[in-house]
Amino acid sequence: MKIGLECHVQLPTKSKMFCSCPTEDCEFPNTYVCPTCLGMPGSRPVLNRQVLVYGIMIAKMLNCEINDTTWFARKTYFYPDMSKSVQITQYDNPIGERGVYYLDGKKPIRITRIHIEEDPGSTKRTADLTSLVDYNRSGVPLAEIVTEPDIANPAEARQFLTQMIGDIKHLLQIPADLEWEVKCDCNISVGTERVEIKNVTGLKNAEKALHSEMVRQIAMIKAKKKIVRETRRYDPDRDVTISMRVKEFEDQYGYIDEPDLGIYHIRELADSIRIDESPQNKILRLSSQYGIDQKMAKQLVNTSMDLADLFEDVAKDFGVADAVKWVGGPISANWRAMEERDGEVDLSRLKDFIRDFADGKITDTQCAIEIKSYMTGVDASAAQEESAGLEALINGFLDENPRIVSDYQKNDKAANQVIGFVMKQTGGRYSSAEVVETAKKLIEARF
Amino acid sequence: MTMDSILSDLKAINDKYQMFHAMTSDTEAGDAKFLFSAKDNLTSMDMETCAGSRILEGYHPVFDATCIDKIRKAGGKLIGKTNMDEFGFGTFSTNSGFEIPRNPFDLERACGGSSGGSACAASVIEDHVSLGVSTGGSICCPASFCGVYGIAPTYGRVSRYGLIDYGNSLDKIGVLSQKATDLKKFMEMIAGKDERDPTSMVQPEFRTAYRRMGSVAVPKEGIEGLSKEVESAFKSALEDLRSMGVDVDYVDMPSLKFAMPAYYVLATSEASTNLARYVGMRYGHQEGDHSLKFDDYFTAVRSQYFGDEAKRRILLGTFTRMAGFGGRHYAKAREVRQVVINDYKRVLETHDAVLAPTMPFTAPRFDDISKMSALDSYKADYLTVPANLAGTPHLSVPCGYDSNGMPVGMQFVADHWNEDVLFSVAEDWEKQFDLRRPEVSI
Ligand SMILES: [Zn+2]
Repeated sequence: MKIGLECHVQLPTKSKMFCSCPTEDCEFPNTYVCPTCLGMPGSRPVLNRQVLVYGIMIAKMLNCEINDTTWFARKTYFYPDMSKSVQITQYDNPIGERGVYYLDGKKPIRITRIHIEEDPGSTKRTADLTSLVDYNRSGVPLAEIVTEPDIANPAEARQFLTQMIGDIKHLLQIPADLEWEVKCDCNISVGTERVEIKNVTGLKNAEKALHSEMVRQIAMIKAKKKIVRETRRYDPDRDVTISMRVKEFEDQYGYIDEPDLGIYHIRELADSIRIDESPQNKILRLSSQYGIDQKMAKQLVNTSMDLADLFEDVAKDFGVADAVKWVGGPISANWRAMEERDGEVDLSRLKDFIRDFADGKITDTQCAIEIKSYMTGVDASAAQEESAGLEALINGFLDENPRIVSDYQKNDKAANQVIGFVMKQTGGRYSSAEVVETAKKLIEARF
Repeated sequence: MTMDSILSDLKAINDKYQMFHAMTSDTEAGDAKFLFSAKDNLTSMDMETCAGSRILEGYHPVFDATCIDKIRKAGGKLIGKTNMDEFGFGTFSTNSGFEIPRNPFDLERACGGSSGGSACAASVIEDHVSLGVSTGGSICCPASFCGVYGIAPTYGRVSRYGLIDYGNSLDKIGVLSQKATDLKKFMEMIAGKDERDPTSMVQPEFRTAYRRMGSVAVPKEGIEGLSKEVESAFKSALEDLRSMGVDVDYVDMPSLKFAMPAYYVLATSEASTNLARYVGMRYGHQEGDHSLKFDDYFTAVRSQYFGDEAKRRILLGTFTRMAGFGGRHYAKAREVRQVVINDYKRVLETHDAVLAPTMPFTAPRFDDISKMSALDSYKADYLTVPANLAGTPHLSVPCGYDSNGMPVGMQFVADHWNEDVLFSVAEDWEKQFDLRRPEVSI
C-alpha cells in the first residue's frame, strides 16, 4: 500500500496574501474583503512578502532544495467561492522541491515540493438548497506540502501529520493550543491504481478516511473488481468515501504564469533566514548527543523547548548525570506549576541550587525542596513537608506491594499502580508530574 | 470652444460620432482646469465601466483607476468613457457590445481599435486628451485612422491598477491627442510607480527633456503588404524626416514576422484567464435561472453576454493553455517574445527608433469590415504587434492623407524607457506637418 499526502496549512500572516485585508476569523461573512480579494475588474495582486519568508522557513525545515528563482502561476477553474475563477498558486519553480522529512527520526518521507497559494472563499449550503458564499478567507495564504507515496498505512499518515504539524507550529510560532485547521488531499493505492480523497479536514479524519478507503479498495480487489482512478470525498458521519469525479490531471487547469507578479529571486532571502531546530530534530539530537533515551528527550522537548534548553545548559556546566537528575527530575515535574505563575521564575536561579548541590553545600533532598519551593512559590518548609508526605505515602505503598519493584524492572508501566494509588489518596494535591517523578525515583532506589 | 460649450454640446456630438458609452450629465465645468475622457476599460467611480462588454453592463466600480485618479487630481474633469472593442478584442472598434464609434473624417468608416472611441474624441473635441490602452496596437491603430497623435509607453511605465485586463503582460495605458505636446504633458501626469501595480515599481525616471532623434531604422519586413496610398504617404514622410536632419536606414528585422502568432498565443492565454471571473456573480449581469447548477448558470450567462470575438479568444486562449498544447504553444511564445526583444535591442543600438507605417491601409468602410474574416483583421495588426510584444514604447504620428482624405499614420518605436526621444520627434514633426482637422458640425 502506498499513501501520499498533499497537505494545506495556513501561514500566520496578519494580512492576506495579495491585499491588506486581515486574515483573522470574522463572525460576519464578507466583512474582510476588498476589490482585490473579491476579484473585481481592474484590481490586481500585490504580494505580501512575509508569505515568501514563511514558505522558505517550511521548505528549510523539510530539508527541501530552495529554488533560486520562484514565481506564481494561474490555475483556472470555475467555482462560486473562487472570486476570480483563477487561483494564484505555484506550478513551475515552487519555493522548495526534493526534500526529506524523518518520521520519528528514522523513516524518511520524501517531500516532492512545497509551494504557496491563496485560499478561495467558502461556500455554505443552507437547508433550502441555497448556496451562500463567504469571501472572508479569499486570499488567505496557504502552504501546500506534497509528499511522495512513502507512507505505509493510515496510522503512519496520521503520525506523520501530527509530527509535521507540531514542527510547523513551533517553527512559525503558532501557539500550540490554537485551533489550526489542516486540510489534506490523501492519495492511496492498495493495488496499482491511485485514488484521491479530496479535502479531508483534520488529522483524525485523514486517518479515518484513508482507513475507510483502504478497506474499500481491499474489498474491491478481493471481489476482482477494477479500481478506477478517481477523486472521492470523505463523509465523516458515515465513515465512507464517495466518488466525486474522474481524476483531473494538473494539465487540465491550463496553468500560465501569473503576469501581474514578477519573478522573485529568493536566494539571498533564503540564505538570511535561519530556522530554529524543530522539536523533532531536537529530540533526536538530545538523545544521541547526551546518550539519554528518546523517551526522556521527548518528555523534555514536549514539556517545553525552554526546558530542553535548560537541560543542555546544565549538562554543559555540571554533566549529563546531574542534568538528568535535576532537569529531568524536579524541574520537569514542577514546570507546569511554574508556567502558571507567569514569568516570576528566573531559570538561571535554578542553576544556583544545582551548583550548591554539586559543591556539596546541600543534600539532594534539600536541593529538590529548594527547586520545588522556588518554582512553585510554596515556602520551603511547606514544600519539604509536602514532599516528605508524598514520599512517605509512596514508600508505605511500596512496602506493602514489593512486587511492583520487580514488575517495574520488566515493564515500567508497573509504576502506574503507585501513581493511581497516590492520586486516589491525595486527590490532586500533588502535580501528576511530581507524583510520577517521585514514584519512579523511589522504585528505582529499591532495585 | 469653451469647456462649458463642449459639455453642453456633448450629447449632440456623441449622437453623431458615438465615441462615448457613458457620459457626464454635467453641463458646467466647475473648478475643472481641463476636460479629458478615458477608455471604457479604465475603472471610474462616477460612471458605468463595461470594457465594451455587455457582461459588465450596469457595473459601477468602487475605485478609480490610478491614471484617472491622477488626472482628476491635476484638475481634469472626466467627461466620458469611450467606446471600444469588447475587452480590447479588435482592430476596428466594431466588436463592441455597445455603440460603434464613427470615423470623424468619414462616418461610414471605422475609427480603428480597440481605443476607437478615444481616438475619435481626441480628433473631434478641441483641446482634448483621451486615455487609451494598447495590448497589440490599440492606441496607435486608431490614432492613425483618426489622424491624431497617440503614444503607448514602455510596459510598466503607467500603473495598470484599475485597468480591466486583456493580456496583463502586454497591456499599457497611454494617451491620444491632436497635439504632440499634450502627449508629453499627460504622460508625465500618469507615469510613475504605484504600489498597487508591482509591474510599475521597477521603472527608471521618466525623462521629458528634449532629446533629438538623429536616426531611424526602417525594417524591410515593415513595408511589405502596404496599400499604394499608405506606401506613397510613408515614402514622402521619410523625405520630410530626412529634411529635418534625421538619418533613415533600411534594416532587416526577421523576427517581426514571428511576433504575430506569439502575440496571439500569449494575449489569448492571458485573456482567457482574465475573463474567467465574469460568470454572472458579484458584478455586471446577474440575472438568469438561479436554480441551475453553478456551472450551468455560469455557462448560460457567459453564452448570452459575451460577444462572438470574446468567445473566440476565450476558446483560442483555453486551447493554447491546455494539456499538450501548453508546452508547445505557450512556452514557445514566451521564447519568441525574447527573440523579438533582442532584435529591437540590436537595431536600437545604432538607431534612435524603428519606423514603419502604423497600419497597412487607411480606415476601412464598415461594409468592407463585415466581409473580413477574423484572420484578415488579426493580420491588419502586423505592424503594431511587434513593439507591443516587446514592451517597447511606440508613438504614432499623422503623416499624410489618402485620396479620400483619410489620414495615414507612421509609428516610431524606441528602446525601453526612452519615451523622451519619441516626444521630441513628435514635437518636431508637429511643427512642420500640416495637420487636417475633421469638420465638426453639430
Ligand atoms: Zn482584500
